Amino acid sequence: MTPNSASAGPSRRSFLASTAVAAAAVAGGMPLLAACGDSDGGSRDGTTSGKDAKKLLPAYVASNVVTPDIAAKNGSAIGFTGKLDLATLKTSVTKKLGKGGKVTIMSPFWGSPPKSNNAYYKGMNDLIGVDVVWQNQDGNTYDQKLGAILASSDIPDVVVVPGWNMGGKIPTAIISKFADLGPYLSGDAVKDFPNLAAIPTDSWRRSIFGGQLRGLPMPAPWAPSITPLYRQDIFEKEGYEVPKSCDEFLALAKEITNPKAKRWACLDMKWTAFQAFGVLSGSEKPLGWNLVDGKLIYRIETDEYLEALEWSRKLFEAGVVHPDSKLGKNAPDPGPKFAKGEFLIYPSNISQWYSRTTEQAAQNPDFKVWGMDVWGHDGGNPTMWAEQPAGIFAFVNKKASESVIRDVLAVANVTAAPYGTKEYMMTNYGVEGTHYTVKDGVPTKTDQGNIDVLNAFVMVASPAATIAHPDYPEVAKAQVEWEQRMGALTKKSSFWGMQITEPNRYTNLGNDMEQMEDDVVRGRKKVSDMQQWISDWKSKGGDGLRDWYKKILDENGSAAN
Amino acid sequence: MSHSTVPRSRAEAETTEKTPVASGGATGSRQKRRPEKLSLWLRFRRDRVLLLMTLPAVVLILLFNYVPILGNVVAFQDYDPYISGNGVVSMLHSPWVGVENFQRIFADSAFWSAVQNTLVLFFLQLLLFFPIPILLALLINSVVRPRVRAFAQAVLYLPHFFSWVLVIAVFQQLLGGAGLLSQVLRQHGYDGLDIMTDPDTFKFLVTAQSVWKDAGWGIIVFLAALASVSPDLYEAAAMDGAGRWRRMWHVTLPALRPMIALLLVLRVGDALTVGFEQILLQRDAVGPGASEVLDTFVWWNGVRNQDFGYAAAAGLVKGVVSIGLVLAANKVAHLMGEQGVYKK
Repeated sequence: MTPNSASAGPSRRSFLASTAVAAAAVAGGMPLLAACGDSDGGSRDGTTSGKDAKKLLPAYVASNVVTPDIAAKNGSAIGFTGKLDLATLKTSVTKKLGKGGKVTIMSPFWGSPPKSNNAYYKGMNDLIGVDVVWQNQDGNTYDQKLGAILASSDIPDVVVVPGWNMGGKIPTAIISKFADLGPYLSGDAVKDFPNLAAIPTDSWRRSIFGGQLRGLPMPAPWAPSITPLYRQDIFEKEGYEVPKSCDEFLALAKEITNPKAKRWACLDMKWTAFQAFGVLSGSEKPLGWNLVDGKLIYRIETDEYLEALEWSRKLFEAGVVHPDSKLGKNAPDPGPKFAKGEFLIYPSNISQWYSRTTEQAAQNPDFKVWGMDVWGHDGGNPTMWAEQPAGIFAFVNKKASESVIRDVLAVANVTAAPYGTKEYMMTNYGVEGTHYTVKDGVPTKTDQGNIDVLNAFVMVASPAATIAHPDYPEVAKAQVEWEQRMGALTKKSSFWGMQITEPNRYTNLGNDMEQMEDDVVRGRKKVSDMQQWISDWKSKGGDGLRDWYKKILDENGSAAN
Repeated sequence: MSHSTVPRSRAEAETTEKTPVASGGATGSRQKRRPEKLSLWLRFRRDRVLLLMTLPAVVLILLFNYVPILGNVVAFQDYDPYISGNGVVSMLHSPWVGVENFQRIFADSAFWSAVQNTLVLFFLQLLLFFPIPILLALLINSVVRPRVRAFAQAVLYLPHFFSWVLVIAVFQQLLGGAGLLSQVLRQHGYDGLDIMTDPDTFKFLVTAQSVWKDAGWGIIVFLAALASVSPDLYEAAAMDGAGRWRRMWHVTLPALRPMIALLLVLRVGDALTVGFEQILLQRDAVGPGASEVLDTFVWWNGVRNQDFGYAAAAGLVKGVVSIGLVLAANKVAHLMGEQGVYKK
């Protein structure tokens, strides 16, 4: 499927669905403790940066295994557009590091999990030398299980936690329940695991929780990740033009919509609206804060935020949004209805550009999905805000023995192998012959490959963000180029790149924000209700949180340039 | 079981001493009617085998129904289950906040909106749902041919065995904005209906779903009650010239009355529980404003947001109100001359 693990995991609609409630994480390095700790009563909140972070971070040793066809630029992934030659695949893990122990891993899973003893899991376990046992949980409702499992005394050896599931008290849980990997990875120690040493430092910095290196990161491009995808084949047939402003979009949407023929223009466009209006990122709480004229403001306090919601609401009012979108998170998977042409545009994680393409390739040869450039709301270039350079982490149980931790790192060292290696092919495509076949340099997954090789190992740790689709090189090229064009219009907000844990007493602040947004956009609440909610937010702690963030900024400076 | 009665005579005092748990509140006149009292020890010896047999059930109830009640202590804490490896240890170490959670609840408009939704839904269901199984039972009872009767019963029972996920998916496919009904309407030049996502009519929708799924199942107890009505009564009534309606009014319904009263009491006790799964599945479709009930409120705050202390406090409030409702409903049943759930 996606040879890019960064996009494999969060690609499903959960990525959009789960949104903004992602609190972030962590910790007080010593100086911070002194600064913020006392007043907010705890050593768990804050961040670790500068010298303190440097001591924890693994050394960076670039991987020279393969050279990408398109180098990373403006926060994009690296791209590969060439053919695949099995004969020239490199070996990045020269000796089996696993000691044959058993490791249980709980991870979010989007789709139907395969049998636990399938050929893919067996093949990976043989390659690594560890007996990995998977506990796959539904990714769309992962946040509902995570809290309960972390509260129990029976936590798996490894737990994968996406950033957007770090709401409520989850950051506290991460700090108290998971092991410090520093002794195995900080500084030169990481050189025992060459593929982990090649993970960019930005991603590792995000893995410091509670003043210790706890996470194994899945690096992500910081360029915008949400793309308005559209049915290019139908656009071409009907002569529709890709819109260049919000007004043009609305006009086009009205032209497209014809309920009688069961066709609507789009799904909920809230996420694209946020980009078009230049609203600060909502994928993680700290990203939503930015210093403007010496004062920190939060995304929901800006005019742009309300304007974006208002415009999204206008689409619903105009009746151009597919009725399924009214169902919110309970809406069915958009894939089949998008394929049927019931709607032509929807915002999604960029990885679906590729996955929708392959899904329909066999039965629907005319089907062509493409990504629109995000437009500025008034027709100019939009200003967008950078995403975090790592958003999904694997953590090791604090109670795990040293041998288990070493086995986990052996797993991660294989899954983090770069494109062009045997380990990468095994991790992302499975066993040759069983899970995929190669014809003319194009690997194609078999039916069994589509069942077995899904999520799982790609969730543990990944190489630097990579896009490589030998079967659709033009899609890979377009994806990387889209990221580079959009990345050029992207700025970094004040807390970009930092892993910050908010104090406990603020963690429930904003829990209902996403509900409010959806209520307003769907016309169930008024924009003035949202304004009221925002002013309540300020008085219930938002202003206190502002001061708290200001202290962090004063202490640490900004990681963004 | 009160022990408040002062013994009036020496003889009575002795009896009281010997039987400390005997119904002390019984007055002399009541006691006279009762058969001779056995001492606790004698009764224990007599019933020891029976008591032994109830032991496993008692242990289970203690373990799973009573011990967890102690967990309600988190309602008075800012409970953080993650500060230690064990939930109980965390309970001991979480900061004590007294009644702060309760103060927050009573000041929380979302809580009151959940209470309001719960009560509105309860009364709607009482009005629109409760009578339907009775009517259906009367209808089925009047069908004479066994085959038709069995078939009708099977059709009515079946939806009870569907999961809520399935029921809601079916409703969505038929009545949703992109569903069958809307599409047919649109093709004939009308506007589509959006029954599934209209917050104003959501409570009727939920009630309709409950009726569709469970009304058939609810007729079972009424059919059983109807089966116990002696045919002689009908014959006698018919002899006296009572028509169909009179027989129903004067024979059938009085026979059902104790059952209706019992179920009503039970239903009222459950008033604050109006369908967790069903509503959770549709919460996002209409927004929490119209759909949040107490159970989903507790779930959202506790499990989803890990604000366990707050959620526990809300659950506790619900429990206390529910007890009050059961007692009140039971009292009403007694006033109506029915047995109710229990009698002192």
